[in-house]
Amino acid sequence: MRQGLRQQAAGFEAEALVFVDSLYRTALRLTRNPADAEDLVQDTYLKAFRAADRFEPGTNLRAWLFTILHNTARNRARDRARDGVLVDSEAAERAAELAGGPARDASPEGRETPESRLVRDTMAPDLQAAVDALPDAFRQAVWLRDVEEFSYAEISAMLSIPIGTVMSRISRGRRMLYDQLAPTRSAALSGKT
Amino acid sequence: MIDCQTLDPLVTPYVDGELDAASRDAVEAHLGRCAPCHSRVAAEQSVRDLIHAHQDALTSSGASPALRARCAAAMKRAPQARSWRARATPFALAATITLVVGGTFLYQVTDRSARVMAAELTADHIKCFGMNRVLGTHDSAAAVESSIGSTFGLRIGLPDQPQQAGLELVGERPCLYGEGRVAHIMYRHNGHPVSLFMLPKTTRPDSVVEVMGHEAAIWSSGDRTFVLIAREPRRDVEQMAGFVHAALR
Repeated sequence: MRQGLRQQAAGFEAEALVFVDSLYRTALRLTRNPADAEDLVQDTYLKAFRAADRFEPGTNLRAWLFTILHNTARNRARDRARDGVLVDSEAAERAAELAGGPARDASPEGRETPESRLVRDTMAPDLQAAVDALPDAFRQAVWLRDVEEFSYAEISAMLSIPIGTVMSRISRGRRMLYDQLAPTRSAALSGKT
Repeated sequence: MIDCQTLDPLVTPYVDGELDAASRDAVEAHLGRCAPCHSRVAAEQSVRDLIHAHQDALTSSGASPALRARCAAAMKRAPQARSWRARATPFALAATITLVVGGTFLYQVTDRSARVMAAELTADHIKCFGMNRVLGTHDSAAAVESSIGSTFGLRIGLPDQPQQAGLELVGERPCLYGEGRVAHIMYRHNGHPVSLFMLPKTTRPDSVVEVMGHEAAIWSSGDRTFVLIAREPRRDVEQMAGFVHAALR
């Protein structure tokens, strides 16, 4: 059994490094700054390695590393908050609530609506810019779900928020992206301009 | 029956295909008769599809080679559990290792850095081997275990068949250094002296430290900390530490 554990540990370092690209991309979304993102990722590996004996073999190493990444980012944000630079994700959420996701009017026929086609015509750089422009709380949730494809439960652990909040942030984040990428269309459809 | 309000928390799991069949049917029944909700779901669905369609572009950038190297180095540097044990698994010790149990000394085992502890123990390692002509002797495991028991009041189980790993148990004699709480066990590997220190009632994070031209591998097992020191390549020291860790009972 000890042999098995040691073999498990033997692969840890190499296995962990496989995820450096996706960790860096996600760190870049969190920090919006390559140098900070690199520091965050390096810190993540350092902490992960120190805690490697607490990693349960057979569970998702990538999700575990992402959890450490987000915890580290949160701690850093908390440190910065003492200097008055905190991005308050709850405030962002309330603001989004006030802004509201307008209920759009019907386009009852078919799934291939003009608006979804319009969105599908969006180019990657525009999409990237729109994602980057989302408030932190929603960008994180949408990114982890739609780009990195984690489960709600995994995201819940990473962001330290309930699963219901994970889903509502994904939902609002997607709707904000929609409004961002198809503004004319949605405004016209909403009938609220 | 689902209304617009109860639909709300179901939209995202519906779009993500995370609902069970019954909930999915209920959502679709509502969407069939509620145009605003239908539109909202279509919008969310289309953004999800859009992101998925561009997933390659969104994930095309990655870590630079420099960052990758930094992360690899961070893991190598980190004082960490199992790092060297991991690399120590395929142990094939060809050389003879002689084992000597040295004497006693009091050691302040708490609140010292690993480097300071390793430095003091390395000094002891050098001094002890320099002063004692013990490497040609040979004792049985039972004799050494018994001696450790009577000298330190510690029970230790040495490997039953050390020769399987090229180990030879030589003997034990007291060290001049210290006053009695740390067991100093001496080996020989490739003609070089190797020391194993056993510190009772203390635990430390695993690490390998370089001090005074020696490598010191530190690990804990139960409530004891072990430090293995040799003037040999780190890889060899890690291998020896890995073997000893696995073989001690």
